[in-house]
Amino acid sequence: MSINIWIVVAGDPAVGNLIDTARSLGGQVCAAVVGSRVVADTVAAGGVDKVVWFGEPGKAPVEAFATAAADVIEATPGVVLGASRASDRVLLGAVAARLQAPVLTAPSSVSAEGDTLVVTRSIFSGIAEETVTVSGPVAVVLDGGPIPVANPAGGSALMEEVSAVTLGMTVVETHSSDFEQVDLGAAPRVVGIGRGLKAPGDLAMIEALAKASRSEVACSRPLAEGLDWLHKDRYIGVSGQHIAPEVYFAIGISGQLQHMVGVRGATTIVAINSDPNALVFTEADYCLVGDLYSIVPALTDALR
Amino acid sequence: MKIVVAYKWAPNPQDASVGVDGAVDWSRAKPGISEYDPVAIELARRLAEATGGEVIALTAGPKSVDASMARKAALSRGFDRAVIVADDALEGAGTTELAAVLAAAVRHIGDVDVVITGDSSVDVGAKMVPTVLAGQLGWPAVAEVTAVSGSDPAAGLLRVERAITGGTQVLEITGPAVLAASTDAAVPRVPGMRDILAAGKKPVETLEVPALDVPASGTTVTVTATARPDLKARKGQLIDTADPAAAAAELVAALRADGAI
Amino acid sequence: MDFELSEEQLLIQEMVREFAAAEVAPIAAEIDRNHRFPEELIPKLAEVGLMGVPYPEEFGGAGADYLSFTIVVEELARVCASTSVIVAAHAGLAAWPIFEYGTPAQKEKYLRALATGEKLGAFALTEPGAGTDAASGKTTAVLDGDEYVLNGSKIFITNGGYADIYVVTAMTDPDRGTRGISAFIVEKDTPGFTVGEREHKMGIKASSTTPLYFSDCRIPKDALLGKEGRGFVIAMETFDGGRVGVGAQAVGIAQGALDASIAYAKERVQFGKPISTFEAIQWMIADMATEIDAARLLVYRAAWMKDNGLKYGQEASMAKLFAAETATRVAGKAIQIHGGYGFTESYPVERAYRDAKITEIYEGTSEVQRMTIAGNALRKHKATK
Repeated sequence: MSINIWIVVAGDPAVGNLIDTARSLGGQVCAAVVGSRVVADTVAAGGVDKVVWFGEPGKAPVEAFATAAADVIEATPGVVLGASRASDRVLLGAVAARLQAPVLTAPSSVSAEGDTLVVTRSIFSGIAEETVTVSGPVAVVLDGGPIPVANPAGGSALMEEVSAVTLGMTVVETHSSDFEQVDLGAAPRVVGIGRGLKAPGDLAMIEALAKASRSEVACSRPLAEGLDWLHKDRYIGVSGQHIAPEVYFAIGISGQLQHMVGVRGATTIVAINSDPNALVFTEADYCLVGDLYSIVPALTDALR
Repeated sequence: MKIVVAYKWAPNPQDASVGVDGAVDWSRAKPGISEYDPVAIELARRLAEATGGEVIALTAGPKSVDASMARKAALSRGFDRAVIVADDALEGAGTTELAAVLAAAVRHIGDVDVVITGDSSVDVGAKMVPTVLAGQLGWPAVAEVTAVSGSDPAAGLLRVERAITGGTQVLEITGPAVLAASTDAAVPRVPGMRDILAAGKKPVETLEVPALDVPASGTTVTVTATARPDLKARKGQLIDTADPAAAAAELVAALRADGAI
Repeated sequence: MDFELSEEQLLIQEMVREFAAAEVAPIAAEIDRNHRFPEELIPKLAEVGLMGVPYPEEFGGAGADYLSFTIVVEELARVCASTSVIVAAHAGLAAWPIFEYGTPAQKEKYLRALATGEKLGAFALTEPGAGTDAASGKTTAVLDGDEYVLNGSKIFITNGGYADIYVVTAMTDPDRGTRGISAFIVEKDTPGFTVGEREHKMGIKASSTTPLYFSDCRIPKDALLGKEGRGFVIAMETFDGGRVGVGAQAVGIAQGALDASIAYAKERVQFGKPISTFEAIQWMIADMATEIDAARLLVYRAAWMKDNGLKYGQEASMAKLFAAETATRVAGKAIQIHGGYGFTESYPVERAYRDAKITEIYEGTSEVQRMTIAGNALRKHKATK
């Protein structure tokens, strides 16, 4: 591709997937990096050709650099990639607006045909897919991926520091939550629970299964947002986590689309539900129709 | 304060059906106020109650967003008035186009202090309209907002709390700004009887796209194919649960055979 | 003809469903089990305007029509019959005669407090020896200077003990039968007015049902509602509307039982198939759905006639009769579909079964409705001859 390829980085260097995707398109890859020097250096060593760094942010949140990022990219517009995290979306949104560039989300493949970008992506919460060809500046939102591994040959991209006029935003307080942090995305097995679980006290039974199967516990949206039985970090679905474990145990989960889009990447799906018509069975490898309160303890015993 | 809530009148994809060619049939999906928008409305009403001022509903879409029921459903949620950009040219509009129209409408409303949106729309779910909208306006944007108050409304200062990985952060922002509420930022209140009965009497300004100053995009996007998602083939193997212990043993054996555990 | 609800009515229906799911459903089983009057719900109901649905905004009401009120009662009953009874007795029975017959001062003082939900209302006609036969009531009101003096007792009074404002009928002229009955507004804590023990009922257990006692209870002369001797007419007109409310309750109870039955039938597996695939279950569901729809149409029509200023006593009786018997029948089938589980407190249908029965009894038993309906039908036949 002979047009410019940009990636925007919003304080988090976990952009390996963006760099890989950008590289696969061919041509020059520039990164506009907001965040500390460490973040800029990590990206610079991770396989891009050039980094534009906006300097130490101080008390300004990364979002304060949205206009500055747009200014820089506007000079050489092209394909702009950004991660789907909240702050990254703000930077990418500002760039897309400046370029009047369409935004494409949830791509399953991004490739170049000459100067045309070809994107296949999931639309409407995953009920359909479309393939589009794009000529002209465009913004693409992808999963950020891991922190890029430094180029083994050593060497680093050219780093250009630019001074930025920031928007009027200041971080005045930061609080860490006392919730146990969980990385569902990295868990090899996940036990997901839904409305079939009757009472919060029944979580102990689920935790026993999780322990026996060495799984993390996750849930559908109502359990995290309506009932507050689990922290929101553990909610899987269209606006929550998307995971691709080796095994996903869907327990008392009806299989609504909004949840299933988050687990479709699982290698194996086991569904336990008393309703034989539950949608979850249409997307499961192993279907156990029955009472989870008798099956889950039996499964826990069998795994021990 | 002048608070705008940009909401969407949209159907739930769960109720749509998809043909083998990937064509989406929305005919049986009833549109409504998009799933997370009531959370944004609740944040806006709290801000208005604390600082004084009005809450204006803003939406853009095809003519159907201006249907009488669509208007009332929105206005019954506690808005003072609505500005509706209803133009069939917006059928299937992309994120950037929709955000550009909304931005033009925000400029048209004038002197807006803050725009609050839901986390994402129920149908498209891109989570990008609020940030592109902020970009179009040149305003600060924050997503995953859990609370907002006017720390010094007279000076246009907003105090915004947002969720970050592993905690929360409080920002002070010189407005105007665009804030996207987190999905659980507030429990939306149920519309009251009077709100419902007054909904049809509240002022509504309806606009069409040509009346607004909307910049054009130089990019062409052509859909070359649509498809039903290529779901991973699943075994769909039924395990008899008449004897739970036997069922568990059978499942564990199968998972071991697959190398899954 | 138009069978569509208005946009406002549809939005009200949606709102009450949302409210009931969030605020009422979570406590419905508990308040029934513990016979607990849900005092905490009253301010929540008031907040969204559900305590004064059919009264004008100038008196603190929502300014909706009676059909909207009917929808509200139905949707509340769908998740909790007790809650619907509390609201129906308050807004349908206590507030209505004050709205219809009250002086401007009475409306300003009492209707406003009731319609905003700041105060709770009750309506007291029934006496130990006088149910439908109001003329044999023994409670008396004697004018003494600027005050009426009340003596006697009332029984089975919904919201008794929790209500602040009571509309009470009493004989001002015992020799004139029903024409000697007058209606009064009595505030709680009036000296000489006491509330007895709550009844232990088979259904609507979270609602309060008590006797009221009047012993030389002196109330100001201007507590008279309407004119002397008009009490029976006031009560009967109030009950015409009240019957629509009971019909709505019955439809709601029945719909709730059907909802639960359908969910259960799809989930419950026997012989390897969900029981919803069995014809025996399907036929029950078909009959339940059809009867509920018929009952709802009767109830909505009666409400619509009231809204349109038409005489609707006959239609209110028909709606109440049919809806009440439908509720009992449907709740019975709902238990049958649930089998042994339906007989336990683990599922909501046993509560629906117990709650349904009262709709065949209060505000005129099914037998009284039949008397009324037959009487009107026979008269009408003579008239057209």
